[in-house]
Amino acid sequence: MKVSDLLEARREKWQALEQLCARLESRGRRRLDAPMVTRFASLYRSACADLALADAYQLPQETIRYLHQLVGRAHNQLYRSRLFKISTWAHQLLVEVPQRLFQDKALRLAFFIFWGVFLLSGMLSYARPDFAQRVVGKKMLTIVEARYAQPANRDNPAFCGGRMGFYIANNAGIGLRCFAMGLLFGVGGLLTTLHNAAILGGIFGHMATTAQSENFFRFVTAHGPYELTAVVMAAGAGMRLGFSLLDTQGQTRIASLRRAASEAMPTMGAFLVLFVLAALIEAYISPSSLPYAVKAGVSIFSVATLVFYFVLLGYPRDDGAVGRAMSPRGGRPPDASVDKPRPEKETAQKSSMQEGRRAIG
Amino acid sequence: METDPRQLDTRVKVVTPENIAFQYHVAGPFRRLPAYLIDLAIRVGICLAALFGLSIVFSLAGLGNVGQGLWCVLFFLLAWFYGGVFETFWNGQTPGKRMMRIRVLSVEGQAINASQAVLRNILRAVDSLPGFYLLGLISASMNDRFQRLGDLACGTMVVSEEPHWLRGVAKVNEPEVLRLTARIPAWFQPNRSLARALAVYVGRRANFTPSRRIQIARYLGVPLRERLGLPQRTHLDYLLCALYNRAFVTDEVPESGAPDAAGTVTAQRVEGDPPLPAAVGSVTDQRGDS
Repeated sequence: MKVSDLLEARREKWQALEQLCARLESRGRRRLDAPMVTRFASLYRSACADLALADAYQLPQETIRYLHQLVGRAHNQLYRSRLFKISTWAHQLLVEVPQRLFQDKALRLAFFIFWGVFLLSGMLSYARPDFAQRVVGKKMLTIVEARYAQPANRDNPAFCGGRMGFYIANNAGIGLRCFAMGLLFGVGGLLTTLHNAAILGGIFGHMATTAQSENFFRFVTAHGPYELTAVVMAAGAGMRLGFSLLDTQGQTRIASLRRAASEAMPTMGAFLVLFVLAALIEAYISPSSLPYAVKAGVSIFSVATLVFYFVLLGYPRDDGAVGRAMSPRGGRPPDASVDKPRPEKETAQKSSMQEGRRAIG
Repeated sequence: METDPRQLDTRVKVVTPENIAFQYHVAGPFRRLPAYLIDLAIRVGICLAALFGLSIVFSLAGLGNVGQGLWCVLFFLLAWFYGGVFETFWNGQTPGKRMMRIRVLSVEGQAINASQAVLRNILRAVDSLPGFYLLGLISASMNDRFQRLGDLACGTMVVSEEPHWLRGVAKVNEPEVLRLTARIPAWFQPNRSLARALAVYVGRRANFTPSRRIQIARYLGVPLRERLGLPQRTHLDYLLCALYNRAFVTDEVPESGAPDAAGTVTAQRVEGDPPLPAAVGSVTDQRGDS
């Protein structure tokens, strides 16, 4: 048989496969009924076989290129991206993340650097008025002073809702940036953490010297624990990325980075949840006219949940299996109860052969 | 998947679970920049539209601040999660990538999972430092898959899905060629490397002037002319085309039995069955007999 005859014989199948690919690409796999899916799979296999034998058939280069493209296109429709699984997310957030963070040296480093610099900067600005001006900047200080001129009395829920959006966007953005900067061998994360800590400490120290100090500290009490913890966690997760490039534990640098990155993802989810909670408190409780005891109570409660999360859930367990079985579904802390809702049905679908083999239909 | 270190071009080989190796072209910065700009334009467009829409709706309702807050959240989500969410649900593509026909895959050639999609887009913050994606460009230029830092951390790469149209075998129908094809001895069958060279020549000859064709065809044509015992004045360009016809297009013009037999073999083959290499072999044998 000559190549031209072979091509004519195959053309129909290849074009049918192409059409099915186009349908899958434009409409998604749910619109394809079962016979079509079977047909797609068999056409894909036969195209694969044709490509494998292209050399034996002496197909022209043009056709081989076409086949490469066709097989690649069908391959991408057959093996699709895996979505989030909420069940695994809950397990990761509640069991794996605290366990990992409890022993994470990068997080400890971030913790000590942040609080050390924060306290240092705070004390210096408290003792020497010009220090805060140099670190934070006069303009910023004036803005902050003006903001806390009045005691907290914002109870309008619509206003609070607006502020909450702003806080989420602003703070979580800062956190994500700090996390990403960590990739630069940890140095970027260190610098960002130093910067954040120095500025925040400067503001705290300066505000303590002013007339608005009471308003200010009453405002920050309630949401402080979650927000500052989230900042530290973001920095620590970023540094974990960066340090994985330096301390590779015997792997290649890229492999080490990939491992650290896949571990960092759930931590990222955890600190985003903390930022959202902090924004919720900062918008609705901190500026409200509630008595200070309530705000302090919220603060104590959030510290307690953090301790529960990092220490009780994080304390190393002897047996991973036992720990998994005992994972606290009922008594889980509020900071981990917010899962990202993902509109998906496929999560329950069992993957066919391996995790990666997600056949259509 | 291995990348051949000797390979200088941008092809990456992927082995499927069906044990087939196929190739991708890695997309470089000049394919990815337009996609990025399209996505940027879409994001800015949505932000502006939402700014107008939300401010009008909520100020009419007397809740101006809620609109502001929603807009902030929208802005935050678009800035950090636009790419991640699209690449998760659109199988490695964002609208811009789809328009530019590029796709994110894992370096093993599999589709990316959600956490890869999200993380590689969050790490954009580093790649875009200190401006104009300079770090990303430096990183992409230092590996053979054009991976920016986010890609390296997530084990992903961006490939282009250039459409190739299926064309049949190039046909040379000039009457001189057809006449010459019939005169080529039946015993002569081009071997594989010769057939490939002939195919390349015929594919490109349309770009050359007639005299240039002869100049190029001489290297192959003169020895073949000797071997086939064809007269000295045989046109070399037509000779190569005739041999090409013999190899790829038709058997002897007067005979029609062999191609028919081959045709029925193909028609009977059940769809999805692996093609039978024996069919090719047997037809070749028939041809040897004729």
